[in-house]
Amino acid sequence: MLKTWGWALFLILLVSTGCAGKKTVVVLAPDPDGKVGSIAVTGEGGSVVIDAPYRGTTIGDDRNPTPPEDLGKARVEKTFGAALSVQPLRPLHVILYFGEDTSLTAASERLLPEILAAIAARKSVDIMVVGHTDSLGSREYNMDLSRRRAQTVKELLVKKGVPASAIQTTSHGKENPLIPTPDNVAEPRNRRVEVVIK
Amino acid sequence: MRYLALLVMAVVVWSGSCAYGASDHIGIVKTVSGEVSVVRGGRSIAADPNFRLQEGDVIRTGPSGKAGLILEDDTVISLGPGSSIAITNFLFQPNERKLSLVARVLQGTISYLSGQIAKLMPSAVRLETPRATVGVRGTHVLIEVD
Repeated sequence: MLKTWGWALFLILLVSTGCAGKKTVVVLAPDPDGKVGSIAVTGEGGSVVIDAPYRGTTIGDDRNPTPPEDLGKARVEKTFGAALSVQPLRPLHVILYFGEDTSLTAASERLLPEILAAIAARKSVDIMVVGHTDSLGSREYNMDLSRRRAQTVKELLVKKGVPASAIQTTSHGKENPLIPTPDNVAEPRNRRVEVVIK
Repeated sequence: MRYLALLVMAVVVWSGSCAYGASDHIGIVKTVSGEVSVVRGGRSIAADPNFRLQEGDVIRTGPSGKAGLILEDDTVISLGPGSSIAITNFLFQPNERKLSLVARVLQGTISYLSGQIAKLMPSAVRLETPRATVGVRGTHVLIEVD
């Protein structure tokens, strides 16, 4: 018990000492796809906006962010290289569409290689396969249909060598349409399975 | 007397994080290199790849450790050596528009790559440092705390 308290105390001290004498540097970098967003950095002494890549601000004891300056790509990559070297790829979301039953559309079938490549690139053991239906038919029927659609995709992936243990399937029936419709409406865009690869 | 106050605070923090322990996971530690640990409820746990994170966790790397995290909304965070970050607040229920991501960079070098929360509701994302707070609009941010 005393030990646990000791740890908790240590944590608090870590947090509270973190508030004293720590210089902070905040830098904006391009997204992996090359796009550049923007950030607002706010201290008690003021606020700055950064909207160009590799520009950064420093916040010292006065808690007033310095005007953003160009730090240069090389310097930024030197400081943050270690962190960037283990940055996971963003998870990939792919939507596969179906006919009225559990057969994939031809266009969706052509996406399978992309899915397999993404699994390999991420060495993924965390693949979510989520089945959906349109609103035609009863709740029970659609729950079962969405489960069978997810199972179909899982089996396709397993047949291509993905370990079954890496794939989790769930089914949402007609409860989570991509395109909201009234009940009992055929909507091909809702007959789908979403695959998320982490 | 001051110790007593600290102890009370410690218990409050500790029991608070225990309550979070009951909830579902908020993400995973995807990449691990060298010494990486997660401090949860006052205990330090060694993190292997695919370690499941919970709200309130503090992720720490040793002097030669590195780690990459993926949160449930596709936010990607990575840590250089000698770094620590607390995922203070995480809520991702897009259907109910319940969205929140608050992370506190305590030490070291951190890369943050925005996910769906930042896309759906930029104001719901806050990166805190000892000296300043960063608000983001769908973007890639690097933070160093000395």
